[in-house]
Amino acid sequence: MSSRPAFFLLACSLAVLLVSLLTGGYCLAQEGLSRGSEKWPEGDRISIRDLIENLEHYDGKVVVIEGEVVGDVMRRRGGAWITVNDDPYSERSLEEGGEFAGVTNIGIGVWIGLDMAEQIQVTGGYKSKGDRVRVVGVFHRVCREHGGDTDIHAVSLEVLEKGRPIRHALHWWKLLLAAFLSGVALILWRWRGIRRPKEIEQKLDLG
Amino acid sequence: MVLRPTGRDVKAIGWGIGRVVLGVGLLMTVPLLTSICCGEWDASLDFLVSALACLTFWLSMEVLCGRHEDLTWYQGMVVTSGGWLAATLLGAVPHWLSGHFSSYLDAVFDVMSGYTTTGLFLLQDLDHLSHGMNMWRHLLSYAGGQGIIVIALTFLFAGSSGALRIYVAEGKEERLLPNVISTSRAIWRISLTYFAVGVAFLWVALIREGMTAGRGFLHSTWLFMGAWSTGGFAPQALNLLYYHSFLVEVLTLGIFVLGSFNFALHFAAWSGNRREIWRNVEWRSFMVTLLTASLIMSVGFGKKGLYSDLIMYFRRGLYNLLSAHTTTGNSNVYSVSFLKDYGFPAMAAVMMAMAVGASACSTGGGFKNLRMGILFRSVRQDVRRILSPESSVVEEKIHHIKDTWLDDALVRGAAFIVLCYVVLYFAGGVLGSIFGYPPSVAFFDSISAGSNTGLSAGLVAPAMPAPLKVFYVFSMWAGRLEFVSVFALAGFLGAFLKGRRARGA
Repeated sequence: MSSRPAFFLLACSLAVLLVSLLTGGYCLAQEGLSRGSEKWPEGDRISIRDLIENLEHYDGKVVVIEGEVVGDVMRRRGGAWITVNDDPYSERSLEEGGEFAGVTNIGIGVWIGLDMAEQIQVTGGYKSKGDRVRVVGVFHRVCREHGGDTDIHAVSLEVLEKGRPIRHALHWWKLLLAAFLSGVALILWRWRGIRRPKEIEQKLDLG
Repeated sequence: MVLRPTGRDVKAIGWGIGRVVLGVGLLMTVPLLTSICCGEWDASLDFLVSALACLTFWLSMEVLCGRHEDLTWYQGMVVTSGGWLAATLLGAVPHWLSGHFSSYLDAVFDVMSGYTTTGLFLLQDLDHLSHGMNMWRHLLSYAGGQGIIVIALTFLFAGSSGALRIYVAEGKEERLLPNVISTSRAIWRISLTYFAVGVAFLWVALIREGMTAGRGFLHSTWLFMGAWSTGGFAPQALNLLYYHSFLVEVLTLGIFVLGSFNFALHFAAWSGNRREIWRNVEWRSFMVTLLTASLIMSVGFGKKGLYSDLIMYFRRGLYNLLSAHTTTGNSNVYSVSFLKDYGFPAMAAVMMAMAVGASACSTGGGFKNLRMGILFRSVRQDVRRILSPESSVVEEKIHHIKDTWLDDALVRGAAFIVLCYVVLYFAGGVLGSIFGYPPSVAFFDSISAGSNTGLSAGLVAPAMPAPLKVFYVFSMWAGRLEFVSVFALAGFLGAFLKGRRARGA
């Protein structure tokens, strides 16, 4: 009886492995479908939304994007990863008083050389507006070098506009609201303190 | 005959809900401290105001309702569903004050998504969000995964005999220890131990992948919270695609698979009963559905021919499939990829995995593996009955911590909840289609919301119609509470309108 669970686990693991191997084999046999995409000469700037919505069309082509570098510059062996956003918030973020655009951020991972990474000084976040860059690179719908990522391998990178800190003004109405709520809470706390001994007295009387 | 709730019922429920909201207010001190440490003064004010609002609400309830520690089952159920709603409305205050939501409804949507560990979001400009707010988003998800009621039980209901009622009402039926308060604390012990280990591993991995130590620490904390709770939130808009890291994907996958298992199973393994892992019906059910879904996905990928080696199959296929099956929602592909790169069979496999979901009494959602196991055994029992001589007695049992014989009540209960989920998924899909979304996208996102997964094929966005947002909020809430306490709340409201006044009340 005790060998049955072990057998079941072994059988399931082997089955998952077998399925994975079969898939790998089948997919490799069909590799020709996705290889051999031609590289086009450098074209006009396109939006990242356009890229993502037309993955098939731009796959393997040279594309030009412009946008804000956000988050981190993650240096790895042979290059670095950056994320470039070109949504309306990359022009003026909500933290800078930008308007709602009705979208979440639209960005893409760009694999750049370490020399290009040196050019990037400021990345976007709560406290800063990131460098605005222009990237020329090859778009990959499914990048073989990076485990199937959808990415761009940069051929060139140019910093168009340096990043800058974002100033956050303190909202005084929030301070006033906090003070008001503290006052109400204090009054309620006192009131609760007066009520509780009475409740205990009532319970003792009932007991 | 339905009795109208008495004044004492209302007061007991108000008292209980006040305690739950106090728990939310106490949680806000974590992002408040994060904001202060990071010098985000305006964000820290948002949390100060919100925490004070929760404190004021709790004190108001204490003053108005008095003290009621002995909740009935009915009151416990209503405290849970009502407590979730109140905690959502007040938990959305810092979201709203952050200025990243175009309406309060959007903020409520995100908070409900966090509590229910769904992971869908309508927040705009995530990449410029403060660290404090990111901490709050992930903490909501982490706390929601353990059950916000569990938090309240652990700290605020100590010694209360009503505790068991609201614990069960939150969709957690199992007690690891004889006392429900001890059980809640055991859940926290398990979670916090995994937290320390998981964050350490992720931190090292992120530093290795090129992040600075400070940001690496924050991201590892948030990624752990998102993965362990099976919430699927991440601090950047690209989710796991942001990191471009096989190592981070393997670690998060391990964390969300562990998080999706039943706390009772964790507890059994911790107590030295490791044989339970292989015998448990939930684990077996999980393996069977995973195998079936991966087989379908393989066929789909084979037809498309895009993900053409094992590493790609693992990273783009199996990772997202497991994320769906554990109802996590972490993803390393764009939303449109489910439609355009996966192809219909692979997309259907992900939908199936989401619908089935994770383990009962875990951080996950969906039908739950336990119910699938019960229904499968029930079907097997029926088949065996047909094939056996008429005079023979055919019995089936399931092993989940202990052996349980299948009976009609058990099967009926499981089937009823599964049916409720199916109706919820279907209603969301139809509604999405009515609003003009392609049916495959509408059903994908509806299943994702109802099963508290968080993957999206592109429907969920700040610009989605308001009625759909409201339905999705309801869907996440009802799916997480597994319907029963939602029905109790509906019954409570109905009884107010149509119930008879009790004699002497």
